[in-house]
Amino acid sequence: MLNHGSGFGKLVVNEWLKLSKKRSFFIAFLIMAGFVALLAYLTTIAPSGETYTALRFAAECMEIRGLGSIMLYIVIISTSGIVAREHSMGTIKFLMIRAHGRSRILASKYVVALLYMLALAVFTLAVTLAAGWVVFGFGASEVSWADLFLQALYTLVYMFVYTTFVFMIGVLTRSAGATIGIGMFAVVLQSILNMVLSRYAFAKYLLFTNTDLSVYATNTAPIKGMTLTFSVIILSVYVILFLAASFVTFKRRDIA
Amino acid sequence: MATNERERAVLSLKGVTKRIGGKTIVEGLGFELFPGEIVGLLGPNGAGKTTTIRMIVGLIGMTEGDISIGGHSIRSEFTKAIRHVGGIIENPEFYPYMTGLDNLKQYRRMTDGITDERFQEVIRLVGLEDALNKRVKAYSLGMRQRLGIAQALLHKPSLLILDEPTNGLDPAGIREMRDYLKEIASKEGIAILISSHLLSEIEQICGRVVVIQNGKLVTVRDIGEQQNKAERSQIEVVVRATPLTVARQALDRLDMVQVTRVFEERNELLLSLKDEDIPLVVKALGEHDAALYRIEEAKSTLEEEFLKWTGGNRIA
Ligand SMILES: Nc1ncnc2c1ncn2[C@@H]1O[C@H](COP(=O)(O)OP(=O)(O)OP(=O)(O)O)[C@@H](O)[C@H]1O
Ligand SMILES: [Mg+2]
Repeated sequence: MLNHGSGFGKLVVNEWLKLSKKRSFFIAFLIMAGFVALLAYLTTIAPSGETYTALRFAAECMEIRGLGSIMLYIVIISTSGIVAREHSMGTIKFLMIRAHGRSRILASKYVVALLYMLALAVFTLAVTLAAGWVVFGFGASEVSWADLFLQALYTLVYMFVYTTFVFMIGVLTRSAGATIGIGMFAVVLQSILNMVLSRYAFAKYLLFTNTDLSVYATNTAPIKGMTLTFSVIILSVYVILFLAASFVTFKRRDIA
Repeated sequence: MATNERERAVLSLKGVTKRIGGKTIVEGLGFELFPGEIVGLLGPNGAGKTTTIRMIVGLIGMTEGDISIGGHSIRSEFTKAIRHVGGIIENPEFYPYMTGLDNLKQYRRMTDGITDERFQEVIRLVGLEDALNKRVKAYSLGMRQRLGIAQALLHKPSLLILDEPTNGLDPAGIREMRDYLKEIASKEGIAILISSHLLSEIEQICGRVVVIQNGKLVTVRDIGEQQNKAERSQIEVVVRATPLTVARQALDRLDMVQVTRVFEERNELLLSLKDEDIPLVVKALGEHDAALYRIEEAKSTLEEEFLKWTGGNRIA
């Protein structure tokens, strides 16, 4: 990918620099570290009587209900402007008059949105492990490394789907503010809708009901008849639709 | 010959039309640019200059017609066509939280083969050495304009498109810019299309102007030296002489001289004649005892011409 066509890798570097040269870039990582420290502290003072190890602590942190949704909010806020701000700042004009097709430009932006999501997740995982090690130590644990990575993977899938959704909203609305609003709203709506809609069979085709794959680890399908494969297929279909909408719109659009 | 001309054209527009929501913004526009040529794109506010430029660089699509750059259609071979284009469209906008240098590096990474040498050369050329490590947020309009020119020139384009390039530049900057544009046009054969409202600016730099109004082509004219040559046969001069009536009678008698206007309050006559007939005018005035104060060529400025072409109802 890096060597094919002239310099897709360089486009990705450009996009990454646009993101990381912002002063707010490191704040996102600091916030995650802060949350991890807070959770570690709360876990030690909680009178649960349960024994924690670094792995168990990390696995719980990495759950969607742990730090997963907070990470997602940060990803939404940080990546909302990847396309939208180019429009609002007017920088899109210089970007689009280079010898790169529009699809390539957009693809580099999407790759960086995903890279950012991955970087934040890996960082958070590392910090939870470090904090867990300092506070609880790596004692014998019923939670294995495999469990931890699987948990992280579930959260990554969840973040991936929403990051793609938010990316599409950014392309469609061209407004970072609207993108953050709609993205956050969708995430919050998920938890509400899941409770209300789980009675209806059609709900299994909705995006919301399928984003949390960790439910299949405990064999509790949100709606009867749903399986891991089913959810993966539904998620793939949504992701493809989001991307198709993004690329088709971006390619055709008049840039004023 | 005609086909050769076509092939030589760096930029060629044919029947370019843009309609947005039933409103025709540009209609059947066609013109060409050849290597080494500096052409002004003129028109009153809202004439469609920026829209035309946006179509040329592929930022917006066209409803009808086609534009080719270096023989490649911007519609069907976008990357090939745009490769040799550098441009500024309306205001130059950069990432404000990055330094000028980091901004410029962004565009450097987007084109292969921009050497360090070229990079430094362009920076020196736009005179930004000292400001490059400041964030663009802290740039003045003129500095952003210079950075805009730098990004347009980095990849050695063969067609340069500038929408209001001198907007915000100080007089020294405008002059430097003008000299530089002329130089790259003549030395490197770069074709330059400039849209501007500063007609005196256009007049000093362009060899040809394309005038549009309401999205339609009004006229394509050679200006500057080429025009002088073409119109050498018949020139216009203003003569100030007293008494005016005597002078007029004297000149009316000369067949090859036409008095086209009389300005009584200034004691001036506007004459249309051939260059070589001017001594006859002086002689005739002397013979009739009319006192001659001055003879000067009445060159109509581009501004006057422009107002004529566009009906003069709106100011450029
Ligand atoms: N997206 C759009 N939708 C509808 N009308 C538009 C759009 N963009 C431009 N126009 C109209 O097209 C006309 C031409 O606009 P354009 O910006 O090309 O003019 P211009 O010649 O560059 O003017 P100026 O000298 O003020 O820069 C204007 O009447 C403008 O209102
Ligand atoms: Mg304009």
